[in-house]
Amino acid sequence: MFGVMLYGQWKWSRLIIVLATVAGFALPIISVQGAAQSELSPLRVEELLDAVQKWGVLYPVLAAALGLLVAITTWAPDHRGRHVHALSLPLPRWRYVLLRFSSGAVLLAAPALAVLAGSLLATGTATIPPGLQGYPVALALRFALAVVVAYAVFFAVSAGTARTAGVILGLIGGVILVQIIANVANLNLDLFDRLQILVLNWPGPLAIFTGRWMLIDV
Amino acid sequence: MFDQVDPRSPTPLYAQIANRLRIAIASGELRPTAPLPSVRQLAAQLRVNPATVVQAYRDLEDEGFVEMRQGAGTFVREVAPESRGRERARQASALVRKMLTEAGRLGVSIQELQAAIAEEIGVGTS
Amino acid sequence: MNHAIETQQLHYRAGKTFEIKHLDLHVAPGSIYGFLGPNGSGKTTTIRLVLGLVRPLAGRITVLGCDVPRDAPRVLARVGYVPEQPHLDPTLTVRETLRFQAAFYATWDWPCAERLRRQFELDEPMAFGHLSKGQKGKLMTLLALAQRPELLVLDEPTDGLDPVVRRDILSALLDYVSERHATVFVSSHLVHELERICDWIGVMDNGRLVIELPMERFKNGIKRLRVAGAPPRVAGPPFVLLARERANGAVETWIVREWEPEMARYFESIGASLRDVIDLDLEEGFVELLRTFRVLRP
Repeated sequence: MFGVMLYGQWKWSRLIIVLATVAGFALPIISVQGAAQSELSPLRVEELLDAVQKWGVLYPVLAAALGLLVAITTWAPDHRGRHVHALSLPLPRWRYVLLRFSSGAVLLAAPALAVLAGSLLATGTATIPPGLQGYPVALALRFALAVVVAYAVFFAVSAGTARTAGVILGLIGGVILVQIIANVANLNLDLFDRLQILVLNWPGPLAIFTGRWMLIDV
Repeated sequence: MFDQVDPRSPTPLYAQIANRLRIAIASGELRPTAPLPSVRQLAAQLRVNPATVVQAYRDLEDEGFVEMRQGAGTFVREVAPESRGRERARQASALVRKMLTEAGRLGVSIQELQAAIAEEIGVGTS
Repeated sequence: MNHAIETQQLHYRAGKTFEIKHLDLHVAPGSIYGFLGPNGSGKTTTIRLVLGLVRPLAGRITVLGCDVPRDAPRVLARVGYVPEQPHLDPTLTVRETLRFQAAFYATWDWPCAERLRRQFELDEPMAFGHLSKGQKGKLMTLLALAQRPELLVLDEPTDGLDPVVRRDILSALLDYVSERHATVFVSSHLVHELERICDWIGVMDNGRLVIELPMERFKNGIKRLRVAGAPPRVAGPPFVLLARERANGAVETWIVREWEPEMARYFESIGASLRDVIDLDLEEGFVELLRTFRVLRP
């Protein structure tokens, strides 16, 4: 049963997974560009940390977007027509939900591993100035966790009716998009940060999205 | 051999099927030891409940026209010529009864009917 | 006798106006039970209740000996369901859809599925979303049959399909029933189709089960009588008088149920004459039954 679920899940979300895997691999490498020189002046160190931090904002964005989109595609085939096919299958509802959740979670491993690979490659090939350290594994782990949290949250939301899920997810998607655009345009718009303060102020799994995501730090 | 059955007719479907088969057997169209179509085949072909076909075959078996052999199917029995003759006589009576009822409905008298029969038969023969 | 489907005093409500009350269904095992009723009478909802897709407010439901909705997942493994509207993943091809369904049913028969697929002329690489309405209908019937169920529940399986497709689906259904002695519960408002295959009939109207009886009794039992010279009030006729209509002239039309030929004598006893006995086909009988039922219970 899990096999056919996974197959169906792959069919729906393969584009997202592939894009996210590429992005996840590229992100750490791009963030350390300019650090391949053998000697870095103090100014350069500042620039490096700045670049790492700036690009680092994209990790939680990518994690959230990935979790969101995969969660949507998990439920997409069920939210069609008036009859939900799943209900007439001969297995308890909770088992069905578990199968759906697991099939999405398995696919999410790919982008997470890509971040790990990219981070290892980035910190391995870049020259890290003295006094700083690379944290590839910690970063990748944090990313993986963030993806799982985002996926779980949006999965739960999507499991409700198609319409409410669509509205909520649409709004969140919009915010993420604005943030990405602002980041690329180098605007100092920390929408996500402000929202984070609003929404994520309570401790818990969502706190993983707050703070700085630094591949290279003191 | 099988036209479609008519579910709207007051004659039950199993009786329609049995009638058609009885005529075929009596007239020699279905020879002795010939197999009847399987229940499954006939039910799917006529698009009727298989139980209907089974009932038709059972009725024919009770009347001695066919025998249902477990696992092999249903086959036409060797019927003595007299019973075939009896069946034809039965069909003839049924025809006449129908004709008389219809005549009554139309207001045609027995004499008028007999005259018409004589004329039609006269046309048939030399 | 254990029924294939049995409900007791089923009660369900949705919104302010739609309600199913006092529903007592009995579907004998091995029978083909036709569930008739106009649109909106509650047929689809009843089916959903029987399959455990919806919970009732009160009443018991037993399917193949198991309690629904408590044991629904176990029962559904033995029930083939063909819903009213196509509900499958539109991106999956025919082949992928078959593989998906097969994974959930231990009784799935691949040779049978393959045979039906070829019989229905469904090409493996076609995406479900690209199939025509008739092809979708055939595929969903295929899915239910390849499962080799003990009970088939069909909700308007041929509605909106052209005659050729209807014929194909019906033949495949009947072929399976002959082979497997399965029970069939089919709801439809295409009365003519039910007429030829059903041995039991249940009529639903406005959330109530109007009548439930063997097909032969229903078809033969309802007649239209032409009666002349009957008094305005008649007491205790041997049949069930559903309606009396006065046309022009002295001859009335009576719609009766439970008619037997010997009852013709009754008319002499009330000083009337029975001019004619007209058979009603299932559709006319159904219409008359509903008409009188609605008059009695506004």
